[in-house]
Amino acid sequence: MTEQQAPADVPVAPPWKRDFPYEVLSEEEVTRREFARYLVLGAGTIAVANVGIAAWTQLRSINAGEPRAITPLADVAVGVPHLFRYPGDDDPAILVRLSDSEVVAFSQKCTHLGCVVYYEPDEERWHCPCHEGNFDTRTGNVISGPPTRPLGRIDLEVRDDGMIWALGRHT
Amino acid sequence: MRASDRARRTSSAVLLYVIILVAFQVFLVTVAVEAFQTDAESLAWATAAVSVVLFAAAAAFLRYLRP
Repeated sequence: MTEQQAPADVPVAPPWKRDFPYEVLSEEEVTRREFARYLVLGAGTIAVANVGIAAWTQLRSINAGEPRAITPLADVAVGVPHLFRYPGDDDPAILVRLSDSEVVAFSQKCTHLGCVVYYEPDEERWHCPCHEGNFDTRTGNVISGPPTRPLGRIDLEVRDDGMIWALGRHT
Repeated sequence: MRASDRARRTSSAVLLYVIILVAFQVFLVTVAVEAFQTDAESLAWATAAVSVVLFAAAAAFLRYLRP
């Protein structure tokens, strides 16, 4: 009976290792080249993710909204904000009556990191408490703080029946 | 300096460069997410471009590492 010969490219373990098959600790070590390879693999994954995020940012459609009745003008007191959802049910918006005839509305999401903004009548501004961002009451432009873009403005119209209509949102 | 010492230092430096590049990549993820939230398309694409360049640089550094 003859012993089977191992293929030439397969390293043959020495006889003592076959008799005492324990593992040396260093066999589990990761070389610095392997470690760097893992890092580069991670960097590649992150790069692909960043390209994906950019493509998603480019391709997603932002719902500007359809005309919709919000609330009767008579129900909104001057200087008291009215909360509603527009253009979708997940989009918080805020409306405030500045005078008898002037009504403005904005998306309630801060353009910095998406926190909810509140109306501060004393300061006449929209205020984001997360990072102290402030926006102009009438225009939604940035007054101070980290935001760089104005609030999303919602076009309004007061119709003959006294109902306030939202006509669409600017991003 | 012996050649082996120099090679070891070189590979350590290269490894350090790769670690710094990957750390910067992680930072770029936060920038990309912020660009997504604020709908800043140009910033998102610029971030993606820098991220790809950093990945290419990190991959190029692998050539200089000892096995």
